[in-house]
Amino acid sequence: MTAIPSIGRPKTAHDYAMRQMIGTVGKYALVYGLGLIFVLFSTLPLIWGISTALKVPSEVYAFPPSWIPTTLTFENFLLVVQNKNLLRAFLNTLIIASGTTFVALIVGVLGGYGFARYHFPGRNMLLWSVLFTKLFPRVVVIVPFFVTLRNLQMMNTYQGLILVYLMVTFPVAIWLLKGFFDKIPVEIEEAAVIDGCNLPQLLWYVILPMSRPAMIAVAMYSFILAWNEFLFALVFTNGLERRPLSIALAFFIDENGIRWGELMAASVVMSLPAIIVFSFAQKLLVRGLSDGAVKG
Amino acid sequence: MVSTRRTASRRSESISLKAQRRRRAYLLVAPAIILIALMMIYPIIQTIYFSFSKVQLPALRTTFVGFDNFMRILNNPETGPLVQRTLVWIAGSVALKMALGLIAALVFNAKVRGTVWMRVLVILPWAIPSVVGANLWRWIVQTDAGVLNQTLRSWGLESWALNWLGDPSTAMFTVIVAYSWGGFAFVMLLILARLQGLPEDINEAARVDGANWWQIFRYITLPSLSGVLAVALILEIVSGMNSFDTLMIMTGGGPANATRIWGIDIYKTGFTEFNLGGAAAQSVLMFAAVIVVFSIYGGVNSRIARRQGEPA
Repeated sequence: MTAIPSIGRPKTAHDYAMRQMIGTVGKYALVYGLGLIFVLFSTLPLIWGISTALKVPSEVYAFPPSWIPTTLTFENFLLVVQNKNLLRAFLNTLIIASGTTFVALIVGVLGGYGFARYHFPGRNMLLWSVLFTKLFPRVVVIVPFFVTLRNLQMMNTYQGLILVYLMVTFPVAIWLLKGFFDKIPVEIEEAAVIDGCNLPQLLWYVILPMSRPAMIAVAMYSFILAWNEFLFALVFTNGLERRPLSIALAFFIDENGIRWGELMAASVVMSLPAIIVFSFAQKLLVRGLSDGAVKG
Repeated sequence: MVSTRRTASRRSESISLKAQRRRRAYLLVAPAIILIALMMIYPIIQTIYFSFSKVQLPALRTTFVGFDNFMRILNNPETGPLVQRTLVWIAGSVALKMALGLIAALVFNAKVRGTVWMRVLVILPWAIPSVVGANLWRWIVQTDAGVLNQTLRSWGLESWALNWLGDPSTAMFTVIVAYSWGGFAFVMLLILARLQGLPEDINEAARVDGANWWQIFRYITLPSLSGVLAVALILEIVSGMNSFDTLMIMTGGGPANATRIWGIDIYKTGFTEFNLGGAAAQSVLMFAAVIVVFSIYGGVNSRIARRQGEPA
C-alpha cells in the first residue's frame, strides 16, 4: 500500500479515495505484471514448438531464430501422417488407452458403488489400499511387473499393457466415482428397489444414467493417463509392433539425427487430445486428484 | 442406506439380509480387490523375494543370496553420489514447483479482470504429455540450434550460451527447470482451489483494522493454506523421488551420470545392466523411503488436527 503524504492537515475523504485508487492501480499492475511473466514462462516453450512444427526445414535451424515462420508450411505434419511407424504407434496408443479406460470404468463403477453404498468388514482398509495404489511409486514395481508379464506371456501385448496401465487409472476411477455416488440420494434407489429393480438393473438403469458427468470425467482422465504413459510402455514393449506413441516420440531419431520440425509436429498431434480433455475437465480432475490425498 | 432392521420380530430375516448385503458388497468390489492383490500385494512380495536373490536372465532362475544385493548397494561408491543427486533433484524441483505454484495461485486468485484466460494459459504445460514437454525442452536448450542459446547469442551474450544438457554442471539445473515447468500448475490448482474456498470477509475485516497486504498474507492466508501446502509438498516429494519420464528423455541419466537419480537407477540396473536382483533391492529401499515419508506426514497431520481440536 502506498501512503499519501499528508502534512499537518487531517485526512479528508479525498485522501482516502486517492489512497484506495493508488492501491487498486498498484494491485492491477502487480497482478498483470506477474501474471504476464507466468503466462510467458508457460506458453513461450509451447509457442516455440508450434512455430518449429510450421517451418520449412531450412528455417528450423536459422539464426537468429524467428518466432513466426516466414513461410508457413504443413510439410512436417504431412510427414508425420505419412510415417508408418508413427501411425502404428498412434494406433497402438489408441487401442491401449481405450482398453484401459473401458476396464477402469467397469472396475470403477462396481467398486465405487460398493464402497459408497455398503459398509462391510475391511471397507476402510480396502479404500486406503486403493488410494495407496495411486500414490505408489511406479518405478518400484517395474521389476515384479516385468517378471509377471513374462510369466503370463503378455510382454509386448495390448492386454499386458492395459493390465499394467490399470494400476495408474483404476484407483482414480474408484475414488472419483465413489465421491459422486455418495452424493446421489438413496431415496431414488429405494424407490427403484420397491418397484422390483435388482442390483444390475439398478446400476444400469438408475445409477449409470445419473452418473454421466462423472463417468465422462473418469473416462477422459484415464484415457489421458494411458495416452501419456511412458515408463511402463518403455519396459514392457520392445520393437515397433506394440510400441505406443510416447515411446515413438522419445526415440524419434534416425541416421540423420533428430528432425526437430517433424518431431514438433508429432508432439503437437500427441498433445491435442490431452489439452482438449484438460480444458474440459480441469476442475473435476483437481478435485479427484486432491480429494484422495486430503481426506479419507 | 436401506434400513434392514425395523422390528425385533424380523431379526432372523434381517441377519440373512445383512449377510446377503455383505456378499453383494464383496462381489461389487471384487475386481478392485483382485487388482490390488495383483498390482500391489503380489509385486511387493515378489520384489522383496527378488531383493534377496540373484536373478538370472533369460530364464529368471533365482538363487537365494541373503543380504548380498543390499550389501552391494551399501558398499557401492556410486551410492553416496546417487543419494545426493536424488536429494538435490527433489529439493530443487519441489522448491521451484511450490514457489511458482504458490505465487501463481496468489496472483490468479486476485479478483482482477482478465486473469481467467491467463490462468488457462498457465495450466497448459501441465496438460501436455511429459514426453512432449521433455522433447520441447530438449529442443529449446539444444547447444547449436536451440532457441535459448541462439537468443543469447543474438543479444551478444555469447558466454551465457552453454551446453545445457551435455555439461554435467548444468544438466541437473536444466532438467529441474523443465520438470517444474510441466508440474507447477498442479500445485497452483491445489492452492487456488483452497484459496477460493476461503471467506473474503475476514480479510476485509483485517483491512478495516489497518492490516496491510503482507500481514493479511502472513497471519490469515498462509495459516489457512497450511493443510493444502502440506499435501502438495508430500505429493511432490514422492513424485520427485520416483520421477522418470523427463529425466530419461532429456538426458537418460547422463551426462556422466549427472542426472541419474534413484528412479533412473532402478530402471538402468534392472533393464540395461540386467541385474534384476539389484534393481529389486533398490526398489525395496525406495518403497521403505516412501512409507517413511507418508508416515511422517501422517504423524504431523494428525498432530496438527489434534491441536486444532478436530478429530484426527
